[in-house]
Amino acid sequence: MLSYLVATGITTGALYALVALGIVIVYKATEVVNLAHGELFMMGGFLAYTGHVMFRLPYLLSLVLAVAGTFVIGLLTDRVAYRPLMKEGLVSVLLATIGVSFILKGIARYLWGGKGDYLAFPPLVSPEPVRIGAIMVMSQQLVVLGAALALMAVFFVFFRATRAGKWMQATASNPKAATLVGLRIGRIYMYTFAVGAAVAGAAAVLMAPLTLLYPDIGFVLFVKGFASAVLGGLTSIPGAILGGLLVGLLEQFAAGFIHTSFQDVSAFIVIMVVLIFRPTGILGARGLRKI
Amino acid sequence: MPVLHGNRAFLVILFTVLAALPLVANRYLLFVANLVMLYIILALGLNLLVGFAGQLAFANAAMYGIGAYGAGLLQVKVGLPYWIAAPGGALLAMGIGTLLALPALRLSGVYLALATLAFAQATQWVLLHWQAVTFGAGGFPVPQPDFGVLHLSPDHGVYYVTWIVTVGLLVLAWRVMRSRIGRAFVAMRDSEVAAQALGIDVTLYKAMAFAISGFYAGAAGALYCSVLAFVAPESFDLFQMILQKAMIVVGGLGSLVGSVLGAALLVSLLQVIREFKATQEIVFGALLLGFVLFQPRGLVDLLKRRLRGWEEPLHGP
Amino acid sequence: MSILAVQGVSVSFGGVRALSDVSMDVAAGEIVGVIGPNGAGKTTLLNVVCGLNTPDQGTVTLDGTPITGRAPSAIARLGLGRTFQTSRLFPGMSVLENIMTGLHRRSRAGLLAAVARTRAMRAEESQMRARAIEALDFVGMAGFAARPGHALSFGQQRVVEIARMLISEPKVVLLDEPAVGLSPARVAELDTLLRRIRDEKGVTLVMIEHVVRLVMEVSERVVVLNSGQKIAEGRPETIKRDPAVIEAYLGSQGDAGRAAS
Repeated sequence: MLSYLVATGITTGALYALVALGIVIVYKATEVVNLAHGELFMMGGFLAYTGHVMFRLPYLLSLVLAVAGTFVIGLLTDRVAYRPLMKEGLVSVLLATIGVSFILKGIARYLWGGKGDYLAFPPLVSPEPVRIGAIMVMSQQLVVLGAALALMAVFFVFFRATRAGKWMQATASNPKAATLVGLRIGRIYMYTFAVGAAVAGAAAVLMAPLTLLYPDIGFVLFVKGFASAVLGGLTSIPGAILGGLLVGLLEQFAAGFIHTSFQDVSAFIVIMVVLIFRPTGILGARGLRKI
Repeated sequence: MPVLHGNRAFLVILFTVLAALPLVANRYLLFVANLVMLYIILALGLNLLVGFAGQLAFANAAMYGIGAYGAGLLQVKVGLPYWIAAPGGALLAMGIGTLLALPALRLSGVYLALATLAFAQATQWVLLHWQAVTFGAGGFPVPQPDFGVLHLSPDHGVYYVTWIVTVGLLVLAWRVMRSRIGRAFVAMRDSEVAAQALGIDVTLYKAMAFAISGFYAGAAGALYCSVLAFVAPESFDLFQMILQKAMIVVGGLGSLVGSVLGAALLVSLLQVIREFKATQEIVFGALLLGFVLFQPRGLVDLLKRRLRGWEEPLHGP
Repeated sequence: MSILAVQGVSVSFGGVRALSDVSMDVAAGEIVGVIGPNGAGKTTLLNVVCGLNTPDQGTVTLDGTPITGRAPSAIARLGLGRTFQTSRLFPGMSVLENIMTGLHRRSRAGLLAAVARTRAMRAEESQMRARAIEALDFVGMAGFAARPGHALSFGQQRVVEIARMLISEPKVVLLDEPAVGLSPARVAELDTLLRRIRDEKGVTLVMIEHVVRLVMEVSERVVVLNSGQKIAEGRPETIKRDPAVIEAYLGSQGDAGRAAS
């Protein structure tokens, strides 16, 4: 039983890590926590569903469609809702992200939620479980885990080694200085949001075969993603992965050893405990800025 | 006698109409009016905490639920009469709400928002799952109090109790904001450091702000359980959060009259679109986003510019 | 006995020593200036005294009462006032309400009194209002009472902040660069105001300033900091000629000329 819990914990944790990754990327570059991030994930899943199930497009094409779609939604929401408010302060942006999240959720419910609200996505790879040691894992879960690690490596390198990544970090820590050296921070913010959204979209498509899609899944995943991000440290990309795996494991242990209903509440407890006792998380930078 | 105009006229007219409504309205309209008053209480408390004291807290829906469950369970499980159970529910919410001041001492902005939001969701989880105490997802009925002594039907009796409590809490909020307590709240919001330099004990005033808003939300909840004669967890979900936030943003953060206006308008709007959840989400999301983008100071700001008599103490930017 | 005594205060931030063993005594009714090049630790010293930072070592005493490490609002209630470099006038209130907030520590009405609107509370409110109007008069801004806090010019905000600070009759006021951003004419007005404050209200002033001319003219004693240490202390004329002070300022631009003149 323990091995089952660990296996499930790691694989759901990988999904949370992907969501957390998107949150951390946007936070690192803009200091904004996008409360609509979960809805971007949800949209990605629904777009993939539309492509693959409703229009019978090949899976890979649906993936591209979903990622492109969420990328565009990310761009739009940044342009229309967030950028104009950056100068008003982060509280205004926060409220705006809440508004956006409900709008997206409502749109999804309207477009797709009509037929009973829960949609099933067919599996990508063979649904036959794979045996690893003593535990059975679904191949799709391994795909998600692999994708999470691959994306983490990509972003780690991106922020450390590429110019664009360093620009994003510079813009986040000192927007005025960044403007002075000629960085067009508006554009950088916009692309950061879009990239964060695309990550959400990719995560959704990878995860879709493993779960049912429903409009409220966005918020559920946001909470788990935020819990993972904050546990690992909101400014740390490896932290997002670590946090995701820990939250995934914690949920399974709580469900297994206490009661199944405790799975849902674990993320809330993690958020409260981390923010109250150690807001910088495990790997985050010391001296978290208060906003 | 001074001529009534501006926001005072608005309040007097509104509450006179509300007082007279039971004589002419049907059951449904009365229910909506009752709901308007409950949300006025909720909006006042939330605005006091968020708009005036500057604490970005997202747990008001949880306090609302704790008040409702407290009052309901005290009647149904402990057997206390309505007149004791209702204040009991409000006080319970006030107590738990005050505890939330603790994280507020160390956190602010997004961190406080998410910590309190997590708390609110955890509270709803408890209401759903602690079936032994809360009756779980199905909720439970609460008998309406008997007003036979006053020759009033339970519906009308509950309505007038709500009216009295709403007016009372509005007057109380007005008085708080017109005192040094109100100034301390706004000082704390505008610059915590400068407020401390003037001797304002920020710990005390944060606790006070959380206590007051907890009490208001709890009172609304306690009244709600008798209005509906039923208590269920789904009434205190995430949508409540955006509904209440939208009310104070649309009405005007940092304005008492704005709270009343926002509550009245948005509750009425909700009734018009209550059929479809999708529509509600889109409309209220768009309202919140729209006002934050284009009219962040709310409707009272518009009214203040166009009409005379809409100023309020401490209603700055 | 000094009204403000700083003894052996040292503060480090993440490995950087902001203050090293700084001591100073301020006598009641003095005007003391604290100067030094950028990064000397002047603001940190002020922050330690008013409680925003706790020192790693050393003590601070206000009129005989130890205040090291206490909460800033508690220290303020003991009679220490402070102004800030950037305007901290509350934008959400009118000018008059701002000044009335200055009387917070001298007023008593609690939540219950406010809600019940007792006679005592109402009397207190009108007294506070009257005193606030008086205070605005003292600084020459009587007509501005109803203006919102954000609708004043920078110089005007400064003056109102000082009025707000003074109305509670603090024993000592810490002024953090009160002249920053002011034109020479306004600096001269500030000079006069500071002297009036000391003479008519008996308040002790401790002032950080970069506008060295103001400090030299208004202070009775000057303390000089450099890299977290006190390097000189004495009357302005002596300080101007102190070689250690001149050398400290040669590192930064322009002040050396003014200090030596």
